[in-house]
Amino acid sequence: MDYSKQIQDIAAKLFADGKIDVFVGYRMNSFDDNQIPVVITDPKEVAELVFTEKSVFNLTNYLKADHTRNKRVGLVVKGCDSRSLNLLLTESQVKREKLYIIGIACEGVVDDKGQKMQNCVECIVPDAVVFDEMLGTPKGIRDYIVNADIIELAGKGLVERREYFEQIFENCIRCNACRHSCPLCYCAKCCIDQETATIYNGSNTSSSAFHALMTWSLHLAGRCVDCRNCEKACPSHLPLHLLHKQNEKVIYDNFQNHLAGVEEGDRGAFYKYSLKDPDDFIL
Amino acid sequence: MSFSTFVTDKTGLQKLYEAIISKHETYAPVEKFGKYDYKKVSSLKECDPDSPIAMTMSVKPLFFPRASKIMKYEANSSGTTIMETDEDPLAGKRVVLGVKHCDARGLQVLDAVNKWDYIDSDFLKRRANTVIFSTRCDKADTHCFCTSLDYDLEKLDALDVAVVNGSDGKIYLQARTGKGDIFLKENSDQSTMYDVQNTMDDVRSTKYEEDMKKQYIAFTGSFRLKMDYKDVNEKMAKRFDSPAFEEASRNCVSCNTCAFICPTCHCFKISDEKIKDTGVRYKSYDSCNNVYFTLEAGGHNPRPAKFRRWRQRSMHKFVYYKERFGVNLCVGCGHCAISCPVNISIFDVVNHVANSPASS
Ligand code: SF4
Ligand code: SF4
Ligand code: SF4
Ligand code: SF4
Repeated sequence: MDYSKQIQDIAAKLFADGKIDVFVGYRMNSFDDNQIPVVITDPKEVAELVFTEKSVFNLTNYLKADHTRNKRVGLVVKGCDSRSLNLLLTESQVKREKLYIIGIACEGVVDDKGQKMQNCVECIVPDAVVFDEMLGTPKGIRDYIVNADIIELAGKGLVERREYFEQIFENCIRCNACRHSCPLCYCAKCCIDQETATIYNGSNTSSSAFHALMTWSLHLAGRCVDCRNCEKACPSHLPLHLLHKQNEKVIYDNFQNHLAGVEEGDRGAFYKYSLKDPDDFIL
Repeated sequence: MSFSTFVTDKTGLQKLYEAIISKHETYAPVEKFGKYDYKKVSSLKECDPDSPIAMTMSVKPLFFPRASKIMKYEANSSGTTIMETDEDPLAGKRVVLGVKHCDARGLQVLDAVNKWDYIDSDFLKRRANTVIFSTRCDKADTHCFCTSLDYDLEKLDALDVAVVNGSDGKIYLQARTGKGDIFLKENSDQSTMYDVQNTMDDVRSTKYEEDMKKQYIAFTGSFRLKMDYKDVNEKMAKRFDSPAFEEASRNCVSCNTCAFICPTCHCFKISDEKIKDTGVRYKSYDSCNNVYFTLEAGGHNPRPAKFRRWRQRSMHKFVYYKERFGVNLCVGCGHCAISCPVNISIFDVVNHVANSPASS
């Protein structure tokens, strides 16, 4: 999977035609064979753009304020990234007409060690679902599978599950890299950062970590697209997917196989209310 | 003043570590999810004093905790009572094993600000009560640039006992402070050491010194990153308005990670955990890269843009702190680059800025 050349050509043309102000893509970092996101405003820099199985970061994170807001943006999205983009569109965070989207029919990306990312192994929607132009051959929708760790977690009783998460969160340093790397965490002021709140008091204690991460995961329940930007960002290497994937599975099983961001305009399981909604589960 | 150098081997060092752990309150890098953090340990099996630098969190939280209680209070209609917090769990005599040299230097750099206008007695007490064992690295990692900064790694006295891997399996334990010297003498015996040098002027000492020098030269030769810190200090001071800050920070996601994992960052915030009338006031880490950091009560934010925050971060490290305290507020550990979600490296940022045209 190498679309570097195609993406460089498309970006160059978009700049030349005056259709975009910035382009968000990937470039090689300066020290090994991994890639980092790049926000290009100078057309001369398009030659740096690359796209391979090392293009991991979900670039829709850069559609938030302070990065590209109110600009016309060209960007590259894989399957999962396009789902978060769909949600950002539905939630009125970006305007479709301001974007030029290069969708990828994704074959899966690899981590720093070259191993296929677990979310790619489990990926259900590898092809971009929203795009202006598609690169690669679409693969279609795959079966819903979850890894053994989620099955094991689901089998735990409530008390046991709480203890399990508590021991994981013990190593959280409250840096919020997870939240800032998540494209769907765009609140101008997160409830966790309110100075006046007393339960999320902003202190970096393990009880505040527990509250913060649990609240965070609930705000993403039914919205998380399993891109794992958060998990990749965590300096303590916490397995944050356990929270999100567990929520995703519960929602998939209880709300007619719902998956976030696949359909344009879908507001997600928790934003619709029906008297027939099941209520006999605990996330 | 010269302190003693002890000579041992891997088995001897392990025995010494085990003896220390059994006798003293000891902290060392403990692995979880592939990352090492300093925790209290009760046996050598639980920890790895040789943990890889890139995978090891800074030792700073043992001196400046991620969250510490500064007071308790009771506030109701009849008034406010302020109470002392529980005893400081980090204030006792203790030993830390497996500290990296750069990280130890970070503590030394922090001494300056903690002894400045407000004396942070907690920090200084923890410093005075801790004996630090630090192994000199054999090889630099991708993001290391400690040898390019304003301290001498070979003779570093920010640590109490330096552990240096010599040739033929020899391991040298060199006391670098009076505290380290006394500690080593008290804690080592014939079963852990096979040679002890109390004076540095006989034939064997010269041989050992040469062996350590050899290790040092091989180590300093292994660096990918090199820079001239004086040049960076001077040039950055003249580049406050450089557009290079914007270029270098464009993909920053404005989290707090680089500051929270940095051995020298020391900004903090104050927050209350309050239930009904009683509360605890905490001092916790904060970061200048966070958009709320400079948000004022009236709603104005003097650093709303990312590049302004990144400018503060890099200028504080290479200009302001240097001007005020004579040392750089960066020890070249590379943790920020490793932990940043988009791998922004302070080395790249300051060099990019230094190499940009000077502001008028
Ligand atoms: S919570 Fe994590 S996996 Fe889910 S959308 Fe956000 S960054 Fe991606
Ligand atoms: S990125 Fe990791 S350490 Fe930082 S707040 Fe999130 S879970 Fe905690
Ligand atoms: S700025 Fe980065 S390299 Fe410098 S001391 Fe802090 S974490 Fe280490
Ligand atoms: S860790 Fe990286 S993304 Fe986060 S604030 Fe620091 S430089 Fe920015």
